[in-house]
Amino acid sequence: MAAVTHQAQAIELSGSRSVEAANDHELLAAIRDGDEIAFQELVRRYRNPITNFVYRMLDDYDRAVELTQETFIRVYTSASRYQANYSFSTYIYRIATNLAISELRRRKRRKMVSLFSPFTNDDGEAVELDPPDLNALQDEALIENERRRAVSRAITSLPQKYRAAIVLRDVEGLSYDQIAQTLKLSEGTVKSRINRARNLLKEKLSAYI
Amino acid sequence: MKGCNHIKQIIDEADKPDQLPFEISQHIAGCSDCERFAGERIALRRLMSSADRVSPPMNFDAVLRARLAEVKARPSFEWFGAPGYLRLASAAAGLIVMVFAAQYFGLFDSPRTSISENRPKVATPSAPTQPGESLQVGRRETPFAGIRQSSSRVSRNRQNPVANRNRGTGSALVAEDDGGVVLVRGQNGGIDVQMPTVSVGAQPLLYVSAGHRTVRNVGASF
Repeated sequence: MAAVTHQAQAIELSGSRSVEAANDHELLAAIRDGDEIAFQELVRRYRNPITNFVYRMLDDYDRAVELTQETFIRVYTSASRYQANYSFSTYIYRIATNLAISELRRRKRRKMVSLFSPFTNDDGEAVELDPPDLNALQDEALIENERRRAVSRAITSLPQKYRAAIVLRDVEGLSYDQIAQTLKLSEGTVKSRINRARNLLKEKLSAYI
Repeated sequence: MKGCNHIKQIIDEADKPDQLPFEISQHIAGCSDCERFAGERIALRRLMSSADRVSPPMNFDAVLRARLAEVKARPSFEWFGAPGYLRLASAAAGLIVMVFAAQYFGLFDSPRTSISENRPKVATPSAPTQPGESLQVGRRETPFAGIRQSSSRVSRNRQNPVANRNRGTGSALVAEDDGGVVLVRGQNGGIDVQMPTVSVGAQPLLYVSAGHRTVRNVGASF
């Protein structure tokens, strides 16, 4: 029955309706039937938020772009197995989250050390090297730029389990329900993690609040 | 009046911390601690949302297309990506086919010993030369009892010289392992004995009809 529905959607998509008007599930059904244009439309819709999300998780632009592409490749190759139980955005964020977390674990195994955080405190947490800037006051653009960098560094310094939740909530603007589905956690756990992440960020960014 | 912890939780979980329900706003107006907490949360969320958003590079689509083409060109290993239950079912089906095939080709049979060595001391029936001649049965009282015993035993009689001799006359069947059975045309009660199809395992199917032909292999179970 579901297959018939998907087929009907695909036929409808290739007929009168344009890909821009199709919803995500219709596009997936068309991709399942080998429609490349539908896949391009899906990429157009999600490449920016997914790239931004993975970048926030890794703080590494080049790797974030690679993993975003890998996310789309997985969407394409597993389109036939996709089940429309919940929204497609949840599905694609889950793939991206898993890839980002795998990358973080891989980095942890390789003990990649950031130039900004070569030191650890007594609790074993990375401590960023933040030498005082003794130069004269910079102009507004540079201050703004520095503030953004501070936010990025603060997010990156969060423990991995808090990082995904806070980025999905406060940067990507997902609901608690969507985050719970994406991370396969209960809504209560998600709320708790976000609360703790905000408390940590408040300490790290106290100079900017 | 709700406690400050509950109010803070509501502030923290609100979709828009600057648009809170009236009851919460009223509490914040009269509670400096909650007011400070709400202010911090609003400032933090503004800071987070103001963080620069990155975009993919201009060649993102072209690189993605190239990577996708590379993936498509790769030999398919969908088997490994299939769900676990499908892989398990396929493996079980394959195993069943292999077992049946092995049984069919006799890989599980124990080595056969010579029939003459295993043959019990029973009266060997003399070869009847004419239809209707005397029938000799070892320990068996009826010809049907011997046939009922085992179809495989009957098949082995093809190696029996006595049976072969009888087959040559086209008149009787001698099935003797532990007693033997002699079926003589016209003297088996006037009934054609037909073996049911052997359906267990991969044994050869036997058809026995005393009236027409002694024993013939009519095929296999699959």
